[in-house]
Amino acid sequence: MAVSDLAQTSKAGVSARSGHFDVAGLSMLAVVAVLLLAPLLAGGFLLYSLSLCFANALAVLSVSMLVRFGGEVSIGHSFFVALGAYAVAIVEHRLGLSIVVSLPLATLLGAGAGFVFAFPSRRLSGIYLAVATMALALALPEILIGFEKFTGGFEGLYIAQDLIPGIPKALQHYYVALAVLVLVCLALAHFRKSAQGLALLMAQAQPRAAEAMGITRSWARVSIFTLSAALAALAGALTGFASSTVSPNSFTFFSGVFLLVGSVVGLNRLSLPAALVGGAFITLVPTYLAQAGDWVPILYGVALVVVTLVANGGDLRRFLPRRVGR
Amino acid sequence: MMEAATSNGLVAEGISLAFGGLHVLNDVSMTLRPGVVTGLIGPNGAGKTSLFNCLTGLYHGQRGRSSFAGTPLNGLGPAQRAACGITRSFQNLAMCPDLSLLENVLVGLTLKRRSGWFSAFVPTPAQRAEQRDAERRAMAALNELGIASVAHEKPSDLPPGTLRLAEIARAVACEPRAILLDEPAAGLNAVETRDLMRALRRLMRPDLVLLVVEHDMDLIMELCEQIYVLNFGRMIASGTPAEIRAHPDVIRVYLGDEADD
Repeated sequence: MAVSDLAQTSKAGVSARSGHFDVAGLSMLAVVAVLLLAPLLAGGFLLYSLSLCFANALAVLSVSMLVRFGGEVSIGHSFFVALGAYAVAIVEHRLGLSIVVSLPLATLLGAGAGFVFAFPSRRLSGIYLAVATMALALALPEILIGFEKFTGGFEGLYIAQDLIPGIPKALQHYYVALAVLVLVCLALAHFRKSAQGLALLMAQAQPRAAEAMGITRSWARVSIFTLSAALAALAGALTGFASSTVSPNSFTFFSGVFLLVGSVVGLNRLSLPAALVGGAFITLVPTYLAQAGDWVPILYGVALVVVTLVANGGDLRRFLPRRVGR
Repeated sequence: MMEAATSNGLVAEGISLAFGGLHVLNDVSMTLRPGVVTGLIGPNGAGKTSLFNCLTGLYHGQRGRSSFAGTPLNGLGPAQRAACGITRSFQNLAMCPDLSLLENVLVGLTLKRRSGWFSAFVPTPAQRAEQRDAERRAMAALNELGIASVAHEKPSDLPPGTLRLAEIARAVACEPRAILLDEPAAGLNAVETRDLMRALRRLMRPDLVLLVVEHDMDLIMELCEQIYVLNFGRMIASGTPAEIRAHPDVIRVYLGDEADD
């Protein structure tokens, strides 16, 4: 069942509804198996980067979820990611508790914050909602620095507690992030078939028809934004856990834009491979192109344009000059 | 006797609707009785769709009252009227392209479904049972309209006639007390229209209010037992098909075109 769920998230899983193992499901299992065994071969910095990839993949999924089920775009989801990351750090510093407590707590906080943002803006859509979320992303660094007493100001906070004492930190970070990512992909595949998931898809495609079936637009907007913010906060909590630190440097205005880029690079899909591609893109490109410095945003911009054109047109050649006589 | 039947049905009294200075509906009244297929006809621009939208709560008339089974409907929006058991179809096919036909019909059951947010993400035995039950009901509705064989197809792969039937299946699935159909035969060929009429006759129940808005006079005459005729925002006639056919105003404004030929 789990395999067929994963398969259905990828477009290829046509026969997944029958519940049989199919090619897409098996390839998905292969991806998970490779990732499970990766720590045997890789270590150190690569393992650390991969853990961050998984956490970022979750953040990318939160944006893709908003696009898929809500038809909306957010450029301020870094706000909720930061909320989750700082929740883990602050819970550890103030209460001395590990992610067993702070992971669910961060998710709930994200849902609460998402609801508080979404309810007053439930009549906004499209570019207006995107601009409203931009306000969140812009306010974020100021909030983090302003509440120095809790957030540690510019320096940020360290996260040191283990989930299971005795196991090497790098492995814990890696496997926890991977497990949560796989579980979230399964949950999203299940959500797509649930009553609420279907209602949201209908509200997005046919708002008036959905209304006639008792699905109001404001319910749809508030619900999907709340869920997506909760997922973003969960992703943030894992980012904090996997990187052992939180600081305002990791949550600038551009972080929100990068999440959107990651979502577009993954074609806004909610499958495990798409999330991994998006998460890897926004994690590895800045790391391995550190020397490029100011060129990273430009590269992102180019990637955004290329992916958008290819995904929409499927063929870049149509933008080239046509041959005479055609 | 008449009174009792009236209080069971969908009643609109003295509805007036204006957009700025344009009077679209002028003191329009109609009574939709359960167990009777009611038709609403009128030439283009007569105000059929406006009246339809007033009944479904999309528009709110400046004057007039409406009630359903004795419950006042004034001020209720489409979602709240849906909760009262009133469903509708759309003139332009309102299917979600990402969902299969079965899933599109499943959405029609949203108000009847009881699974919570937790089980939307985590499968539980109760949620699975609820899902199976909902799918069974959606399948039954598709079956009733004779299109169960294409349940797993995407709307883009199906002809408009099938999609129209699927829309009606979606309306039927949640066991509504009133179904309002906005030009169900629009864009259908003769064969599809005949299938549609057969399906509509089959789903008629003694306790169901069924309204069909159409400009196709032949279809309305054949299908409906009670007919209302709207012209320039006024109700000019109502009665049985035979009465309507003989009504001088109807002949003048509606059938007049043919008489002139």
